[in-house]
Amino acid sequence: MKPALRALDVQPCANAAPAVPARILRLVKSAPERKALASGQVDAVIDRANGAVFLLHEARWAAVAVANRLLAALPQDEYQRLLPGLDAVELACGDVLHEPGQLIRHVYFPLAGLVSLLALVEGHRALEVGLVGREGMVGISLALGVDVSSVRAVVQGGGAALRMTAARFRKELCASLALQDEVYRFAEATLSRANRNAACHRFHVVEARLARRLLTTGDALRSDEFPLTQAFLADMLGVRRVGITAAAGALQRRKLIGYRHGSIRILDRKGLEAAACECYRIVRNDSR
Amino acid sequence: MRRKARKEGKTGPPASALTVMRLYISDNAPNSVQAVANLAAICKEYLEERFTLEVIDVLEEPLRALADGIIVTPSLTKVSPMPAAKIVGNLGEKSDVLIALGIKA
Repeated sequence: MKPALRALDVQPCANAAPAVPARILRLVKSAPERKALASGQVDAVIDRANGAVFLLHEARWAAVAVANRLLAALPQDEYQRLLPGLDAVELACGDVLHEPGQLIRHVYFPLAGLVSLLALVEGHRALEVGLVGREGMVGISLALGVDVSSVRAVVQGGGAALRMTAARFRKELCASLALQDEVYRFAEATLSRANRNAACHRFHVVEARLARRLLTTGDALRSDEFPLTQAFLADMLGVRRVGITAAAGALQRRKLIGYRHGSIRILDRKGLEAAACECYRIVRNDSR
Repeated sequence: MRRKARKEGKTGPPASALTVMRLYISDNAPNSVQAVANLAAICKEYLEERFTLEVIDVLEEPLRALADGIIVTPSLTKVSPMPAAKIVGNLGEKSDVLIALGIKA
């Protein structure tokens, strides 16, 4: 895994003073390196003990911009203008960002991990109707003039994100044509994906949908091993747990995945792609 | 990601030997981008085509950098001709770079 995300040791404020944290200063011993550090000419420091790379100052934010593709697509000056309104936050698995019927207070731009959008229907389990990763934002309805969420947004696979207040987001959206372009492009992609998901839920078998979902999760988390419980998978796919057990068992017997204690491992990515419905390939290609 | 730009030519004042360098950067971080640009300008002006430059991204190869004794980016090392030298920062101080590369005393 590219260690850039390990370096996203983000500060809570985009305009953080360029003071070098003491723990990083301790890693740098020689005079020329310290001098370069003091004059702001250093982008990164490597920890001799474990090879961890710490990005500094603007480098950190350059990496952040690249990490979220919606923000990365903005012109540099537009992105710089947005920075003061963006707070870096750590999202933990299971965090609920939005609830249906409630006001959207913040929008989120994930830098890692995935946020699952769930529709709640009385008398039934939740059903996953969308997924947001590094390619977009959570709270897109604000851009369309609706400030109340229609879905529950739950973090699946934690990671860093940039957060902006709803009021600030509306203000920035009015002020920036470039931001409007990117946000509306993402809104259209979200709608198109929802259409695809509706057809997928109706026509594709659980095993193929499960394979698609596991591949999507692996792509977003950039790992072939991740924690996922069968109960969560049942919610995501809108089927009973017994259905997930059967589908996961079938994939396991074909040696495509391994499943143990709430953790899933993709053993054969090519094989799993072949087992997934066409939606995986289509959505992945659309979002590139 | 390791990027290599190898250029070898016939003439190269003032040094007659091939200058072998390694530049350690962090992807597209501002000082790294600047260091690449500054070094490219210096090579064009002083080394013409008598140099070999390997650009190493420490986000991809942190352990390689550590093995080479590098802990901050951007850093430039001159591997040959001897003596070896190292310079840290965005290479904006041209005279310091020329001294490190042995082009200027």
